[in-house]
Amino acid sequence: MFTAIVSSGTLLAALDSVSVLVDECKIRLDEDGATIRAIDPASAGMVDLRLEADAFESYETDGETIGVNLTRLEDIAGMANADDLINLTLEEKTRKLQIQIDGLEYTLALIDPDSIRQEPDLPDLDLPATIAIEGRDIDRAVTAADMVSDHIALGVNDAEEFFYVDAEGDTDDVHFELDRDELISLSAGDAHSLFSLDYLKEMNKAIPKDAEVTVDLGDEFPVNLQFEIAEGNGSVTYVLAPRIQGN
Amino acid sequence: MGNAAFREIATIEAVSFDELSGVVAVDAHNWLYRYLTTTVRFTSSDVYTTEDGTEVANLVGVVQGLGKFFENDLVPVFVFDGGVTELKAEEVDDRREQRETYEQQLEDEREDADATRIAQLESRTQRLTDVIHETTRELLDHLDVPVVEAPAEGEAQAAHMARNGGVDYVGSEDYDTLLLGAPVTLRKLTSSGNLERMDFQATLEAHDLTWEQLVDVGILCGTDFNDGVDGIGPKTAVKKIHEHGDLWSVLEAEDAYVDRGDAIRSLFLNPDVTDDYSVDTDVSPDIDAARDYLTEWEIPHSAVERGLERIEDATAQTGLDEFF
Repeated sequence: MFTAIVSSGTLLAALDSVSVLVDECKIRLDEDGATIRAIDPASAGMVDLRLEADAFESYETDGETIGVNLTRLEDIAGMANADDLINLTLEEKTRKLQIQIDGLEYTLALIDPDSIRQEPDLPDLDLPATIAIEGRDIDRAVTAADMVSDHIALGVNDAEEFFYVDAEGDTDDVHFELDRDELISLSAGDAHSLFSLDYLKEMNKAIPKDAEVTVDLGDEFPVNLQFEIAEGNGSVTYVLAPRIQGN
Repeated sequence: MGNAAFREIATIEAVSFDELSGVVAVDAHNWLYRYLTTTVRFTSSDVYTTEDGTEVANLVGVVQGLGKFFENDLVPVFVFDGGVTELKAEEVDDRREQRETYEQQLEDEREDADATRIAQLESRTQRLTDVIHETTRELLDHLDVPVVEAPAEGEAQAAHMARNGGVDYVGSEDYDTLLLGAPVTLRKLTSSGNLERMDFQATLEAHDLTWEQLVDVGILCGTDFNDGVDGIGPKTAVKKIHEHGDLWSVLEAEDAYVDRGDAIRSLFLNPDVTDDYSVDTDVSPDIDAARDYLTEWEIPHSAVERGLERIEDATAQTGLDEFF
């Protein structure tokens, strides 16, 4: 049994954060809320999403796991106006999701959860450096780096306590630096890793500009990006594997 | 090789690289031969000929061809032929004869013909020499690309691996992979533009055939191992199999004969393959070692640098599983 009412903004923010990596996913519903964990086909990027029951206007389930086509569900949710409420009900018999938006009724066929790639475990990485940064600063860094290169180095200088971004193109370079005062917080440790902008650009799209993003970094290690959605009643964690640094 | 007329009844759809990801078992000879001929056709022979006259156009071809897989989230596993199947010996002889004709032509025309004609003839006289076999494997080894040695036919082994779920696709230009029951064959891996996805199950369903019957259709219209029955193309063969049930009944009704039909049938249905293989699809190429190796074989830097960069760039992304 599952039935819930949620604002279109909250639902879309949650779905968008997952759909940047995968086209279909399992949604686990328990009494505390909904969770999605998924890894992209190349196993380079992972998302862990948690939406508390409080993020919904109303929420009731006795525990369900459903498989959904994210593109389809996003298209439907996109039919709603920003502050419309979306009513979701799982039809027990047909195993279809009934979606109601302001008089519009859509019955969505679900995907057999067993046919969807197994959910990954969250890696326990114990990364040496942690910063907290505004979503808009990540957006600036990613946008600028994208002008010159396909990849981006993220690092923390332990001795001088600043976070930096480097992108080297064939002709042009981008360097962006934020010290302790310009960041929300910084717990320095030496870190430098290279990442694909293809992934970071997609993840950046799902990060609200005013979000406080916690970034954990290591030396040639994956990066963790964690931020809240749904006014603190939900959280998204991305983990992205690094690229091997040439030369 | 294989019978190209088979296209008429195969279920094939165009598919873009974006829609694919996974491991593809590539019929190594088929793939290599295509890159060899294209390289020879479009590259000056100085580039791939060593001072002592050994031709290693394969080294240029391999570097040019590999990037495409990695850039599109496909990991190739190259499956090399073991011994030549006895029944195929005739086909191999025919090809050798044909090549010798071209070689003669090349010799006759070399003085007078224009460069295009020479390039065309040169590309037709290519063969997979021992040096080409050896250097291809060594280069693939430097690039950490998995290789499987088939006990007999490479494409049979590749189809077997795909049937058992060891790989996601078979890569070949040969329609025989359908007769070998390869669930999905990717065609045109060596061309630019869209790929073709040839679907075994969909082909069976489209013509309401069993696998055995599909093989019988193949034998009726000709395979690498037999000539087929005169006047029977794929569509007629399907019709006749429906009418009579199997190869033997059709042959009887047509008063025709196929030499060693039983043996040919089992080459497709129960080919000589092995489960004794292991492939590590986590590819981390040693680009510097590959570069040194190419230099050893006197391949100019300029002919392969772009290709090496493409491979390096496309394989630099690590997977999260390496950090768990």
